[in-house]
Amino acid sequence: MVDPKLLPLDPHRLPDPGEWFAPDAERHLLDRPKFCPTCGGDLDDGMITEYWRSEDRVFYTWCPHCAWTGTIVRVERATIFEAEH
Amino acid sequence: MLTVEQNEELTKVGPGTPMGELLRNYWYPIAFDEDFDNKPSKSVRLLSENWTLYKTPSGKYGIIGEHCPHRRASLTYGVVHEDGIRCGYHGWKFDMDGNCMEQPAEAENENFKARVKAKSGLAETMGGMIWVYVGEQPAPKLPRFDVFVLDGIREAGYATLPCNWLQIMENSVDPHHVEWLHGYYFEFLGQTQGFDAPKSFQKKHMKTAFDEFEWGIIKRRVLEGHSEADDDWAIGHPLVFPFFMRVGGQWIDQMQIRVPIDDTTTWKLFYSLHHPEGGVWEHQERPVFYPFPYKDENGEFITDYVEGQDAMAWVSQGPVTDRTQEHLGRSDAGVALLRKMFKENMRKVANGEDPIAIIREEHDVIHLPCERDKFGAGTAFTDQWITGGSMRYSPLKEQLLKLHRDAAANREKAKSEA
Repeated sequence: MVDPKLLPLDPHRLPDPGEWFAPDAERHLLDRPKFCPTCGGDLDDGMITEYWRSEDRVFYTWCPHCAWTGTIVRVERATIFEAEH
Repeated sequence: MLTVEQNEELTKVGPGTPMGELLRNYWYPIAFDEDFDNKPSKSVRLLSENWTLYKTPSGKYGIIGEHCPHRRASLTYGVVHEDGIRCGYHGWKFDMDGNCMEQPAEAENENFKARVKAKSGLAETMGGMIWVYVGEQPAPKLPRFDVFVLDGIREAGYATLPCNWLQIMENSVDPHHVEWLHGYYFEFLGQTQGFDAPKSFQKKHMKTAFDEFEWGIIKRRVLEGHSEADDDWAIGHPLVFPFFMRVGGQWIDQMQIRVPIDDTTTWKLFYSLHHPEGGVWEHQERPVFYPFPYKDENGEFITDYVEGQDAMAWVSQGPVTDRTQEHLGRSDAGVALLRKMFKENMRKVANGEDPIAIIREEHDVIHLPCERDKFGAGTAFTDQWITGGSMRYSPLKEQLLKLHRDAAANREKAKSEA
């Protein structure tokens, strides 16, 4: 479990600690983008869906202020898929 | 993966919730015309509220909050008049806009009735179903989608499923499930239970795409051995915002309907129009509606047909999928797009704007884009869909098989004579 002090304060909540994937949910709260990369607006009321692509965690993001939509990728390792050759 | 708050915002449909306010901008089918053949009123539930749907002696439909504002008795057990409904308990009468017109025991207190108004909405019939609108005025027009108004043989299987409607909608932007749930898993069942699983669904997905358009999202796929010139990519088929999906192939055009009854209940219909080129059919007075089972007598999911497999996947996620526990991959990009579309339109509604997929102009028919040559399976697709899908429960099953086979033979004949 992540130190609760590191987590954002209310109104954000976490699943019950006994849930299987609670640690991933914690990381989602900690790592999801907080501000729009285009207008700098707060993304708290935006829509951020996280999905996984190889080692990367991808945040499909919609900004409620400027309507920017795109993916923001948290990169842990640069992974390259070679084209067939 | 979402936060707890986002998951709740996306799945709660009651009055005053952001999603509930968005969903109240649309018309929903909630009953069948035939439900009123022998009685003038029926209790229905929509968007976490209980309603009384009624039919006047001249055939107009009305909808009003089920519980009388007086002492909360059900108005479904009331007296239906041409201009409204009267509570059976003490005779309070409400017009079709929910205004209280009479309070028989309060005759000397005439100002009282002006202070009482019941929740009400609009109700119309289309395609053999009663559609209702329970949102703010002015109401948009009831959208006359092609499947509900074009000529042909219409039939629909229906079931009430114990899960939130959104997990069914998210299935509509998840093309990959077809080759696994309806392909690989179906084949596994066929091999272990001794039946031939349909092959149309087994082709591998090579590419998928999602395009936003005026009615929702167009879903496209390229299957192994196919190209972008094929219908599955060039035309695709749409998720129609916020609670339909249109699918079709070989002149079976189907609207899949997911009515949000409440947070954990969805009325699911597979409404099909059969109108094959070269086919001959007699005019149908009314569509045929029938229940499709999704669990057996032991409470196990029935998974040896396509929609039964879907129902298993939707319902087994639980009443409301816990999206804080999911792990999406890149093949789930359509799911992320759909959630964005819901959030974007919740915000529009909060700002007093119309969300997408609203029509305010008079119109005859709305034609939706939808592939015709499905999975490159040709006319074999109709046989496989009718016998391997919920249509296997249709009272018209044999008639439909014959209709499509005869039409295919007529098309072949016409082609060879040309």
